[in-house]
Amino acid sequence: MNVQFTLAIRYLSGRKLRTVLTTLAIVFGVLVIFGMNTMLPAFMRAFQSNVLAAAGQVDATITLKTSDAFDANVAGNVAAVTGVRAVSGFLNRTINVPPGYFDGDSATAGTVTALSLVGINVAQATILHAYPIKEGRFLESGDSAAAVISKSLAEAIGVRLGETFTLPAAGGETVLTVVGILPARALPGNEEVLVTLPQAQTMLAMPGKINTIEANYDTLDKTRRAEIERAILGTLGDTYQVGSLASNSELLANMYIAQAIFSLLGVLALLMGGFIIFNTFRTVVAERRRDIGMLRALGANRTTITGLILSEGLVQGLVGTATGLVSGYLLGAGLISLLSPIMMQFLNAKLGSPVISLSLVIGSIVMGVGVTILAGLLPAMSASRVTPLDALRPPVGTISFKRLAGLGFWSGAAMIALAVVALITRNVGLIGLGGVLFILGLILMAPALVNPIANLFAALAAAIFARGGTAQLAEGNLSRQPTRAAITASTTLIGMAILVMAASMMSSIQIGFGRVMRKSLGSDYLLIPPSVSVWGTNVGASPKLAEELRAVNGVAAVSTLRFAPTQINGVAVSLLGIDPASYSQVSGLTFSAGTEATAYAALGEGRNIIFNPVLAASAGVKAGDEITLIAPTGQQAYRVVAIAGDFINAKIATGYISHANIEADFNRSEDVFLQINLAPQADTQATESALKGVLKAYPQFRLIAGQEYMEEALRLFNAAFAGMIVLVIFLAVPSLIAMVNTLAIGVIERTREIGMLRAVGATRRQVRTIIVTEAIILAAIGTAFGVLSGLYLGYMGVETIRAAGFPMEYVFPAAGVLLAVVAGILFGVLAAVIPARQAARLVIVQALRYE
Amino acid sequence: MSLVQTENLTKVYGKGDTAVTALDHVNLTVNPGEFVAVMGPSGCGKSTLLHLIGGLDRATEGRVLLGGHDLSRLDDVKLTELRRRQIGFVFQFYNLIPVLDAVENVALPLVLDGVKQNTARAKATAWLQKMGLGDRLANRPDHLSGGQQQRVAIARALVAEPALVLADEPTGNLDTRAGDEIASLLRQIADDWGRAILMVTHDPRIAAYADRIIFLKDGRVVDETRLSGNGTDETKRVMAKMEAI
Repeated sequence: MNVQFTLAIRYLSGRKLRTVLTTLAIVFGVLVIFGMNTMLPAFMRAFQSNVLAAAGQVDATITLKTSDAFDANVAGNVAAVTGVRAVSGFLNRTINVPPGYFDGDSATAGTVTALSLVGINVAQATILHAYPIKEGRFLESGDSAAAVISKSLAEAIGVRLGETFTLPAAGGETVLTVVGILPARALPGNEEVLVTLPQAQTMLAMPGKINTIEANYDTLDKTRRAEIERAILGTLGDTYQVGSLASNSELLANMYIAQAIFSLLGVLALLMGGFIIFNTFRTVVAERRRDIGMLRALGANRTTITGLILSEGLVQGLVGTATGLVSGYLLGAGLISLLSPIMMQFLNAKLGSPVISLSLVIGSIVMGVGVTILAGLLPAMSASRVTPLDALRPPVGTISFKRLAGLGFWSGAAMIALAVVALITRNVGLIGLGGVLFILGLILMAPALVNPIANLFAALAAAIFARGGTAQLAEGNLSRQPTRAAITASTTLIGMAILVMAASMMSSIQIGFGRVMRKSLGSDYLLIPPSVSVWGTNVGASPKLAEELRAVNGVAAVSTLRFAPTQINGVAVSLLGIDPASYSQVSGLTFSAGTEATAYAALGEGRNIIFNPVLAASAGVKAGDEITLIAPTGQQAYRVVAIAGDFINAKIATGYISHANIEADFNRSEDVFLQINLAPQADTQATESALKGVLKAYPQFRLIAGQEYMEEALRLFNAAFAGMIVLVIFLAVPSLIAMVNTLAIGVIERTREIGMLRAVGATRRQVRTIIVTEAIILAAIGTAFGVLSGLYLGYMGVETIRAAGFPMEYVFPAAGVLLAVVAGILFGVLAAVIPARQAARLVIVQALRYE
Repeated sequence: MSLVQTENLTKVYGKGDTAVTALDHVNLTVNPGEFVAVMGPSGCGKSTLLHLIGGLDRATEGRVLLGGHDLSRLDDVKLTELRRRQIGFVFQFYNLIPVLDAVENVALPLVLDGVKQNTARAKATAWLQKMGLGDRLANRPDHLSGGQQQRVAIARALVAEPALVLADEPTGNLDTRAGDEIASLLRQIADDWGRAILMVTHDPRIAAYADRIIFLKDGRVVDETRLSGNGTDETKRVMAKMEAI
């Protein structure tokens, strides 16, 4: 064995505790990088199929150009095309039923005159679509004469779970048993009756046939998707056609954004893993420098030193990385198998198995071994740049703020300024970059800020528990080596930042999302047209409907929306008419500029308009501006009185004016969406059936309880973002452990100083107090910065979700911040207790001799 | 020809108002096999002188000639090689590598020089035996007394057969008895093995083991005394000189 390697092994085995702790840092670093990134694809896929499924969409729908049925085996040919991830064959037919077919009352038009019979291949279809069963169960492949229908259809035709209904079929009427009920249909199109594929084939007398193939692709990349589409047509021939999800669709855009967030989490994991490793090694740097100086004095040249550090890094890096890879995989796989049933049950999201790519393995090894070596080489390089004597000398003297506030400090300040600017732009990409800049900026500024902050916390500690000068001593220890303190504290920073980020996102999602939704859809009942938010295609109802509804016993208030398309500054705008007086009683906008009271009042007074945030941003308009609307009656000047939005129109450029104005300027008086509130003492059941009675004449509307609609929206939302929260928590936990690790190493490395303290008369108790105080101050600095960064990152996360089209308010995570502070202090104490006990027990002479 | 020769050796720490002149145009020589002590009050530049001669630090002005080589003209690689082969260091705090045992510590300069492990260990063992540490070969530094650690350090300084041994307060951390043992060991190194020794010390009793004493004050050579060899008398003489300075 050569000398470098011998020395490396000796150093590693001679400092067992340090070696174990630093190797642990590598393990955690690699674990985060590897575990996170093996889980990411599974979560990302679950997310993509979920969003598509929840929206009732697929990447591609394949049919014959003639719309005829074809052989069911064709689905297999499509599945064989590279890039096609999932395929399912369907047989569906519209079945028209005569008036009164279900309710036996042929005098009035029935609520159901047409529905779709859909035969599905159960195993394949459940991969492509979400079927969130509310009652009973979903179809099973062996089922015959079984059907699953929506709650709204069940109510319309008057059947309950377990009951039967009949449908006209090729071989005469078929009796089907309702085995499961889905939520009320909120999508455009006919109500569907789901049966197994063989059942549908029998009913329609088309054995072995299907007429639609649906497929999902494995990529979001536009050119790749076009290639896959061409490949499918190439396989099937030109009698077939592929209907694809438009590449500029809003859904696809949302998925791009979500993919960016997931990738950002992966990058964050990479950064954090590297940082944990780097920081830990930087913590032991002072001692390294001295060792290197000694070796240099004995005649070791730079190559030998580099070789030594390389060997050490290699040994430690390989062991740590291997352990990290294995434990990262186990953790990822364990978490997925733990979460799979939960996600499946509540969110209908399938999680695949962890994905290991060669590039990820190589990347993790490069990070694990590379960062370890780099973190060791930096002190080695700086030690070999100075004379051996300088390397041997302990760094002494106070370091002035001026010296610390050099290039690093100011470039850090500039980065933070840029991050804040990025936040203002509200551009998701820039905000993401801003998050990284913000953390880097804080880390660069940290050394100069250690002294004042340490002073502050020392004063606090002195007042609370560390009397007799111990707090000042602890503070002095930190202030003397601000760079080392800053490095140790920055591990805490990262851990806390991620914790607070997770807390911000969760509180905003739970509170902010619910708040916007409740305000907007919190009425007792909603009357929903076939197409929500794309209002133009809907057939509305005359104001008579609202009058009839108001007359129903138990109804307290009815508010309606009217629609007219228009243009502002060349932007297509969906214009909604509201009744300023009743709207706020039943529903409500969430204001970001202007106030509720004045804005509604202004709408009732003249040509005033409220812009929703999307419109305000796309038209470049702010409250107080005058704008011109293109109306059938000519151009009309309106004044913008507020910026405010509601839930369902959040993604669409929308303006709100009064009923009176939309009628006068746009000639629109039909209601397209109605919300109903009941009186407090109303008999809910009686009122509901009375409402249904009124609605028989208006089959274009479905009556849905507000609560039910909200739950459904929340379910969709959770399906999309629950995975993301899990991943953020996955990042936070190892970083907290890493923080304890780094703090503990910091204490161990100062054994000698501790011996000195005991030698000059410090009692064991005082030594303990000093060390614990020091760790707490250090943790407090890290926590303070971490909370700041976390607030930024959390705000960023919320902004990103908002940009993805889910309206929500940012909610300050008070509980999360409190939790972070408590965790910071707790972990600080935890990290110090064991080394402090050890240090206090040390025989003084031995401690002094520790090098 | 002298082994060591300094010409107007000057070292200034810091710049401008805060500049401190540690060595001020020092000229001295050390001959092969000669045992020279450097004495003087704290802060007179003794250690700086040693570090410059040992190539551990660079001079601000003037030069050091070691065996005819001008140290200021050597690059880091050559200087490192010179330190490894020509100079042995003994420090006040021993500066042994804590994770290596006695033999490994002593063998280190040879191993660093590319000598085979077995050869290096054999030589190291031989030197440790000469230092009276034959029964402590496998002990790590924390299992050795101060005097024993310093003897390991001396063995390490000698193992590469250097012409010059630089000792910085070698007895400063030891009790009187151990200090005397180390001083006579150094004497023996000069007498029996013909190495030149340049030793910095505070202690007149220890300095009295040398052939010649150079007195420094405020970075300048202020006096020089050749000793006769009679321990007790010489000690008194040295003490008197120190008091005068």
